[in-house]
Amino acid sequence: MDAGVTVRALRARRGGRDVLRIDRLDVAAGERLGVLGPNGAGKTTLLRLIAGLDQPHAGEVRVGGVESRDRGVERRRRVGYVAERPALMTMSIRANVELPLRYRGADRRTRRSAAERALERLGIAHLAERPAHAVSRGEAQRTSLARALVCEPPLLLLDEPAAALDADARKAFLADLDAALAGRTTTVVHVSHRPADLLGFADRIAVLAGGALRQVSPPDELTRRPADALVARLVGFENVVPIAIGDRGAIELAGRATGTSARDLGSPGHGSGGGARLAAWAAGIELLPPGARPLEATVTGVSPGPGRWDVVLDAGATIRAHHPLAAGPPAPGERVALGLRPGLATIVPPGPEEDSPGPA
Amino acid sequence: MDLIWDGLRRAFELVVGLDATLLEILGRSATVSLTATAIAMAIGIPAGTALGLLRFPGRRLVAVVVYTGMAVPTVAVGLVVALLLWRSGPLGDLELIYTPGGMVIAQVLIALPLITGITMAAMQALPAELADQLRALGANRRQLVIQLWLEARLPLLAAVMAGFGHAISEVGAATIVGGNIHGQTQVLTTAIVEDVGRGRFGPAIAYAVVLVALAFAINAVLTSVQQRSAAWTQA
Repeated sequence: MDAGVTVRALRARRGGRDVLRIDRLDVAAGERLGVLGPNGAGKTTLLRLIAGLDQPHAGEVRVGGVESRDRGVERRRRVGYVAERPALMTMSIRANVELPLRYRGADRRTRRSAAERALERLGIAHLAERPAHAVSRGEAQRTSLARALVCEPPLLLLDEPAAALDADARKAFLADLDAALAGRTTTVVHVSHRPADLLGFADRIAVLAGGALRQVSPPDELTRRPADALVARLVGFENVVPIAIGDRGAIELAGRATGTSARDLGSPGHGSGGGARLAAWAAGIELLPPGARPLEATVTGVSPGPGRWDVVLDAGATIRAHHPLAAGPPAPGERVALGLRPGLATIVPPGPEEDSPGPA
Repeated sequence: MDLIWDGLRRAFELVVGLDATLLEILGRSATVSLTATAIAMAIGIPAGTALGLLRFPGRRLVAVVVYTGMAVPTVAVGLVVALLLWRSGPLGDLELIYTPGGMVIAQVLIALPLITGITMAAMQALPAELADQLRALGANRRQLVIQLWLEARLPLLAAVMAGFGHAISEVGAATIVGGNIHGQTQVLTTAIVEDVGRGRFGPAIAYAVVLVALAFAINAVLTSVQQRSAAWTQA
């Protein structure tokens, strides 16, 4: 069954203002689309519109060609939905997973076997007879996922399913999610405010901010070429700082030459003038002996990170860098030269409404 | 003291001897109140659910009316029902005044606000995301409402217990609408009032003991169901 999603001229309003405005978005059948954005960006609104739980103010959302204004239950039965909070019913884990099949009129034997398969896929078959309130958050969210998948829906919608989990539980849940979907052609729309949840999962990521799409790209392109400074921040660039670009593309940071040109960073399109931003991963900032590069900075903070030193520097603007663990920590107050590693830094525009809370 | 001891002794004799009048009054009380509670449930639970879940113009006003209904004295309800059912009243042709049917109508109106109001509060207390999750799971409207009732089964059983307790224990409406006619409309509460008025404390105590026992038995069954559910949701 085709489960592609088509969004056209979509408007959602709340409290008299647009909270979502998407002119065009397509999700191909079988594609995994991540939707990245901060709280209040409109991610859940978009998901609810796709699920058929809410109706748009204007425009249309089609799932497999069926329009979202079709409010019939058949429209909703084509979609699996996992919310941030699992909302399990006060019954056993097995009975929870059987619910969608019960609603579709499946007989007892079919319900049982399908629920067992779904529970096994998520590694929680041993919890089948346990009351829903007696499982951990991670187990409850796996139950919610098993419940959404038990009918093999052609479209799966995930609304920050790992947001309430701690770091380890989140990693384990996302790994189980990936495993549960392996070998299937399920179309997935997964929204999250954490880029890490989506970068390794999605075929493409749509960045949503202030109710509007800012960029839709494959993950590797998003991490190398964010559309603007706001997207760069949302994707997780540790450094997004104002720069000036002088003659021949020379990049200046806080009035100081960096010794790097826009061409070095693969951004030759940015001509001279102000307003541009340097978006650089902390891993793309190289700490060198003083004098090795024109741009120098003072170390203002050092802390151990996972497999590295996290270094904060003052280069006229605050810069964050990752320094190899084996090289030892630089001392606070130490002067160093800064180099930019190509491929890990880029030049981006500030964005048309970088600090705007939402569309007009 | 002799008055009380004599009354208790007489009550014991009536209960142990399975007095025919006592059994007849007990049967009528149980039938009238259980029928009224069942009808009030059938109306009040769907009405309370609609008030709790739906948004429509005038909903708040209806809610205020329901909550006010919880506090209306049963004699006032009895008076209104009697005026409606009186032979020259608008529903006089039904010939329900001084009949168990008329008493059922009065007790329905007594139990209905309690069951409706508690149901409304119970539905509003459910987590907001529950209904959306059920819709997302593919539940149609009927399946959604049934599941929400199951989720709210503890307060809904409390609503039924409160409605039944209010119906079986009231005396004002039963007297006005039923008339306390021996062999026809006399129930435990009206029999107690009559016997105390005549100084016959033995039967009055017997009726009171049986009334409490009946209420206890029915509430014990409902509480058993309720607490079994509670153990499942909280254990």
